[in-house]
Amino acid sequence: MSGEHASFSSNKIFLTLFILTAVEVGWSLVFSDWGPLVKWGGLLVFAVWKGVLIYSYFMHMKFEGWIIKGLLAPTPFLIAIVLCAVMPDVSYNERLDWDVGAQLDKSGRADGHVVRTLDLYDSAHGGHGDDGHAEDGHAEGGGGH
Amino acid sequence: MSSSHAAAVPADGIATYDPAVDAPAPHAPVYDYDSGPPVDRGKFAMWLFLATEVMFFTGLIGTYIVLRMGTPAWPNPENRLAVDITAANTFLLITSSWTMVRALQAIQNGDKKGLVRWLFGTIVGGTIFVSVQVYEYAELIRHGSTPDVDIFWSTFYAMTGFHGLHVVVGVIWLVCVWVSALRGSCTADSHLRIELAGLYWHFVDLVWVLLFTIVYLM
Repeated sequence: MSGEHASFSSNKIFLTLFILTAVEVGWSLVFSDWGPLVKWGGLLVFAVWKGVLIYSYFMHMKFEGWIIKGLLAPTPFLIAIVLCAVMPDVSYNERLDWDVGAQLDKSGRADGHVVRTLDLYDSAHGGHGDDGHAEDGHAEGGGGH
Repeated sequence: MSSSHAAAVPADGIATYDPAVDAPAPHAPVYDYDSGPPVDRGKFAMWLFLATEVMFFTGLIGTYIVLRMGTPAWPNPENRLAVDITAANTFLLITSSWTMVRALQAIQNGDKKGLVRWLFGTIVGGTIFVSVQVYEYAELIRHGSTPDVDIFWSTFYAMTGFHGLHVVVGVIWLVCVWVSALRGSCTADSHLRIELAGLYWHFVDLVWVLLFTIVYLM
């Protein structure tokens, strides 16, 4: 943050961040039933947009010299490597099959079986209703563990 | 050799060791140039530290991706989390980041009172953010939503918890900087501690912007 040569309107950046956050929350509500491409894609665009604004202006990276920029240059590549490294696990997720309610059967409510949907959890915790992403209405069914 | 030292030479002509006279010259190299990179060391170290922090949160988010994509049924966060309250909390953290920028701008212009005022606003913002998060945790745990219930809650508490820990550290750091500002130790020409604390605080804000989207909205 070498402010001596940093010239920008912090108020404008702040206002932009404020508006982007409001739009982002609105986007998640309006497109809540849309597919991941629209909903998640839009949300990620807004999040990255805000991140770039904070990184460039509030952290003054836009005004830094080549040494600081060079210091951070490997980071995106390292992030890409990490994310690429987890891709095989994501691609072969049927081998993992991390059931979100898998641990509920410890309480005995699932009759010893791994819970495959959220119905049991929700009924036991105040009945939030449909969690949106539940596969079906069955409350059990031997997970992949 | 000084005359006074010469007077200390014993009759046998063998002088004792006198470090003031006989000690060898220091061997520390004296450069006629700056041996470090042409940036402030503190700032260089801070950015290096932040790069490692980026990788830390990348590991957390990468783990979250694997677990989420490997889960047949992932709950809609809107049904489990108080998105509206957390959205307001996000506005608050962004506002505290802006007050941090104003604090730095104030001291760069020699405005010490402005520095103290804006820094205090940043501390208040960070404290409220942590308080709301603690309240959220307490409410969730009170309703039985503990980290061991399922993977949704495990990842939720892991990511937001580690971020909250960073916010707590940031608030403590800002309080220390604020105290030094109250004592008048920061000037327009010497305000590196404000810059470094600001860098960390903006990083915490940046991470939250991403986490809020990933955990609460997606």
